[in-house]
Amino acid sequence: MNAESKEERGSHMESTFALEMESITKVFPGVRALDGVTFRVKPGTVHALMGENGAGKSTLMKCLFGIYKEDEGTIKLNGEVHHFKDSHDALQNGVSMIHQELSNVPERSVAQNIYLGREPLKKTGLIDHKRMNEDAKELLKRLEMDIKPDCRIGSLSISMQQTCEIAKAVSYNSRVVVMDEPTSSLTDNEVAHLFKIIRQLKAHNVAVIYISHKMEEIFAIADEVSVMRDGKMIGTYPIADLTNDKLISLMVGREANLRFPTVKSSIGEELLRVENLTSLNPRSFKDISFSLRRGEILGIGGLVGAQRTELMEAIFGVRDTSAGKIFIKGVEISDIKPRKAIEHGLGMITEDRRGSGIFPLLDISTNTSIASLKEYLSKIGLLKHKQLKEEAAKYNEALKTKTPTMETMIQNLSGGNQQKVIISRWLMTLPDILIMDEPTRGIDVGAKYEIYQIMGQLVEQGKAIIMVSSEMPELIGMSNRVMVLCSGRCTGILDKQQCSQEAIMRLATQFM
Amino acid sequence: MEMKKLLNDSKKLASQYTTWVTFVGLLLLLSVLTKGNALRWNSIRNLLIAESVRSFAALGVGMIIITKGIDLSIGYVVCLTASVAASFAQNPDYASAIYAGQSFPLIVPVVAAVAAGGLFGLFNGYLIAYGKLPPFIATLGSMSIAKGLQLIYTKAAVVGSLNQNFKNISQGSVGPIPNLIIYVIIAAFIVWVVLKHTRQGTHFYAIGGNAQAARVSGINVERDLMMVYTYAGILYGIAGTLLASRLGLANSLTANGMELDAIAAVTVGGVSQSGGVGSVSGMMVGVFTMGLINYGMSFLGVDSYYQQLVKGFIIIVAVYFDMKKYARRS
Repeated sequence: MNAESKEERGSHMESTFALEMESITKVFPGVRALDGVTFRVKPGTVHALMGENGAGKSTLMKCLFGIYKEDEGTIKLNGEVHHFKDSHDALQNGVSMIHQELSNVPERSVAQNIYLGREPLKKTGLIDHKRMNEDAKELLKRLEMDIKPDCRIGSLSISMQQTCEIAKAVSYNSRVVVMDEPTSSLTDNEVAHLFKIIRQLKAHNVAVIYISHKMEEIFAIADEVSVMRDGKMIGTYPIADLTNDKLISLMVGREANLRFPTVKSSIGEELLRVENLTSLNPRSFKDISFSLRRGEILGIGGLVGAQRTELMEAIFGVRDTSAGKIFIKGVEISDIKPRKAIEHGLGMITEDRRGSGIFPLLDISTNTSIASLKEYLSKIGLLKHKQLKEEAAKYNEALKTKTPTMETMIQNLSGGNQQKVIISRWLMTLPDILIMDEPTRGIDVGAKYEIYQIMGQLVEQGKAIIMVSSEMPELIGMSNRVMVLCSGRCTGILDKQQCSQEAIMRLATQFM
Repeated sequence: MEMKKLLNDSKKLASQYTTWVTFVGLLLLLSVLTKGNALRWNSIRNLLIAESVRSFAALGVGMIIITKGIDLSIGYVVCLTASVAASFAQNPDYASAIYAGQSFPLIVPVVAAVAAGGLFGLFNGYLIAYGKLPPFIATLGSMSIAKGLQLIYTKAAVVGSLNQNFKNISQGSVGPIPNLIIYVIIAAFIVWVVLKHTRQGTHFYAIGGNAQAARVSGINVERDLMMVYTYAGILYGIAGTLLASRLGLANSLTANGMELDAIAAVTVGGVSQSGGVGSVSGMMVGVFTMGLINYGMSFLGVDSYYQQLVKGFIIIVAVYFDMKKYARRS
């Protein structure tokens, strides 16, 4: 009842936009994540939101759903100013999100998932299962979805589960539906099915915000495209005005406004060779081969989901592989584990600093020395604390880690300084090869430059670096060569002369 | 910003010494309430003796909690090891002795109990590290297994009539200092060395702080986890031996509920349930704080029913502050 009246009210409104986000600004310490972004979506259209990783798309959506509070700007829904407390509040007001990861309760039925938290009740206060199933059946039929409401949702394919989430959004009478990379785990047939449903939503006058990197899909489904870059809105274009190349240049078109240190390293002998490495997980990387030489920085490019981190973790022995060989200095290393990798001179700075990098409650000194304790044992096997502390301090001084004392808990440092501690940790193990996964993520501009300088010094000293990065200028500015992955496969290795943002982007979207 | 930092720093300082402040505060309170009577050497000595066995359990579970684990099997494992120790120390002429007519060298009960405890720890550790069972569930299972084994081994009878040599292990003293206290000091020292001065000890903190980062740093997380439960088991074995020796018997009620006392004590002593935090001095202060509360209330004549109540609240308050202190900032 309530839903119907709301719909009526909606249709009487004057506003031509279903959603208007006006001059949204969001500042994080050291980063202007959103800078006066204006984003307007018309009802009954599919509006693609595009941009490189880190352009600000997810931050913008998080502001919409109340996960972040914007510092400036207003959000209007059908012309009315709204601020949602959380995603539930947004859902109640007709704004829903279909997540990249599914967020249903797998052990419950389709109907139970759709009506989760608002189950129809009998007079006795017990759940009216019959009505719930009938309502769900009606809803699914209306959307031409061939799903039985009483089957367990976890038994359905991923695309079917996604369809159910869309049905749930529709059942809330959503006027705006956000889809974040909805096809990342779908097959071609499933994508076609999803598009059919999206067109139905359009026909019901729903505004669909479609976030994706996949060019082909954008041109197949979108009516309008908004492009973001560096936290700014570059513009909104009708799809007819765009071509593949134009869209890419809009996305990457920034000047390389960061400066990179000049690195004068001499390329030496091969340190690492990877042959036909294939993940144990069939959805992950396949058949990757490359080599890395002394004094070289090999960049790894690709979009989110290209399986770059997974590949790095496999080389370091955190993840299992099903086929392929890894050679370090010409010696084949079988059954690699982090311990073995470290012994052979590998070090790895992980992408997720909080999840697999820092020991938040331990001090700087321990955080630095933890991977090298073996080298600092007395004859009877006790730790040489004094030497450990001195060495740890030495490395941190060399990298200019800013900390009150070496006994400070690492969680009290800024992101950039935490990263320096982690780099110190690996330098202390005296590695030949350093894997750096997104080494400057979440780090402010000044500290970024320092990290680049450190990387330059390391290769000048004859070490080799593999750098995974989602930032194009960084990839191009720092790497001797760039290997590009797309959907777990290597689509090309570019040397310095061939390396441009367009070339990388083309390889990164090759299978899309 | 500045004010906030200052406030944070002073909060941190206070929380670092909370356990000590609480302990000294309670001590002063008790001495005022009893006009100094409670603090005579004799009373203190009794307190130390009463808490000594629990100290071993606390040191064991303290290490486990540092790795972000938990051990619910303590009480019954100590009960089992006490029964094992006692069974090898019964007077040979005691008709209902488990090994009637046989007498064993003093070393046998000690080694048997320590081995039993160590094996139980190894079992727990294996399930948790390699079987990937949640520590809560693994040790809940082994708690029942230990209880069952104890009942089977003793046929649910009291293992009594222990020989004097065995009883002297705990009942003797060196000058004015009871043996038990010396054992506790030695054990605490060894655990301190392990935690602060060995590679493995540092690894325990790392694993508790961030297991994934520990793995990436080349730490053999599984092996270290298995070892921490084994070390704890060995400590429970010693606790069982000393308990049997002190009481002169063991039965199925021996050490019942010790897991809760030990976990509560180390928690009060600042070993965080969120892992990666804790010290030997904290664990020991925690044990004696809980002991002081028990002893103080008895001395003041507080009904023992109320003592339970007070203890419960203290545990909840301690964990509440602990959780606030280390809650992840998002």
